[in-house]
Amino acid sequence: MEEFFALARKILAEQMDVDPETLTMETTFEEIDADSIDIVEMIMALEDVYDVEFPEDEKKDYAILGVLITDLYEYLRQIKNA
Amino acid sequence: MRIAVDVMGGDYAPVEVIAGAIKWIQENDSQIVMIGQEELIKEELTKYCYDSSRLSIVNAREVIAMDESPATAIRRKRDASIVVASKMVKEKQADALISCGSTGAQMAAAIFILGRMDGVERPPIVAAIPNTSGKKTLLIDVGANVDCKAKQLLQFAILGKAYASFSGNPNPRVALLNNGEEESKGNNLSIETHALLKEQPGLNFVGNIEGRELFGNHCDVVICDGFTGNIVLKTMEGMAMFMARLITMETGQLPSFFNQLDYSKAGGAPLLGVNGVSIVCHGSSRQEAVFNGIRIAAECVTRQMVKLQQEELAKII
Repeated sequence: MEEFFALARKILAEQMDVDPETLTMETTFEEIDADSIDIVEMIMALEDVYDVEFPEDEKKDYAILGVLITDLYEYLRQIKNA
Repeated sequence: MRIAVDVMGGDYAPVEVIAGAIKWIQENDSQIVMIGQEELIKEELTKYCYDSSRLSIVNAREVIAMDESPATAIRRKRDASIVVASKMVKEKQADALISCGSTGAQMAAAIFILGRMDGVERPPIVAAIPNTSGKKTLLIDVGANVDCKAKQLLQFAILGKAYASFSGNPNPRVALLNNGEEESKGNNLSIETHALLKEQPGLNFVGNIEGRELFGNHCDVVICDGFTGNIVLKTMEGMAMFMARLITMETGQLPSFFNQLDYSKAGGAPLLGVNGVSIVCHGSSRQEAVFNGIRIAAECVTRQMVKLQQEELAKII
């Protein structure tokens, strides 16, 4: 999980032009001015690295970085174990 | 030339979109691909006489609604008409696409499928507004990006310069839309953007302009965020309709110059900064507006708009 979060943080920090150290599991996307395009870009970059396709949950509207990362990591863990 | 038409997007889709596309193939020697729900399209096509060798249909079952989050909808609805149309342009099965559907979805599809040009974070939409010199002033962005950062507005200015070059003006005067001419005027975004535009080498920045100066010969490219630009554009449309009504009531007829202010004559506007021609049409487009949107798409292909933008960007970035 730490490794996955570190990579997500690096990708998002580069995209948003912020210091990666400022990004925590509690960071909200609003705080760093990340819109839905930025979030999808980060997800797609992670998909490229892990060679997976994360599902889109139409009912979820992610506001907190840690909540999104936890869900993505959980999906990744499930398919790797499958 | 082959143009992909998203027939499912728009207030009057698919009826008016299909009508506009059929008019295009009746009057022009090029191909149209209609993308949308096949049975609906086939049923609608029974109303028309046309050269069937110029028309093909690609079935796309899903539609992205105006109230859906564009970025996630693009990923969730892989069989949406705007997604399929964008993939066709990306894979060179079509030369350009037009849509009257969700602008956000079209922009997200352009970003994630067509891809952005180097140095572009968000593609803006450009609209050409008639001015007193008889030429056009380019207004960027007219609705693709409601929330913008200063560096994105700077990118719009660079794209505006590139698009003006495509329109025959290699050194356009670029201005920032604001509520006053002074450098210190405006909100934080305006002040920050002004400073960036002033410092950008190779950009003929002439300062701030106010809304009333849009129609004068003060500048060639006007930059603003998409929220402001869309309100400006729709206010102009409303004002033009109001004036048209007053003049018609007074004189019984409408001067021909009003055609310049009619959005259905303009048809559509290209998304700038993406690696493909994607024309955004008004949501309330009817046959004539769709026809003219296809015309704009054809012009952008013929005059190599994408290549020229890439070349101009390479000089500046």
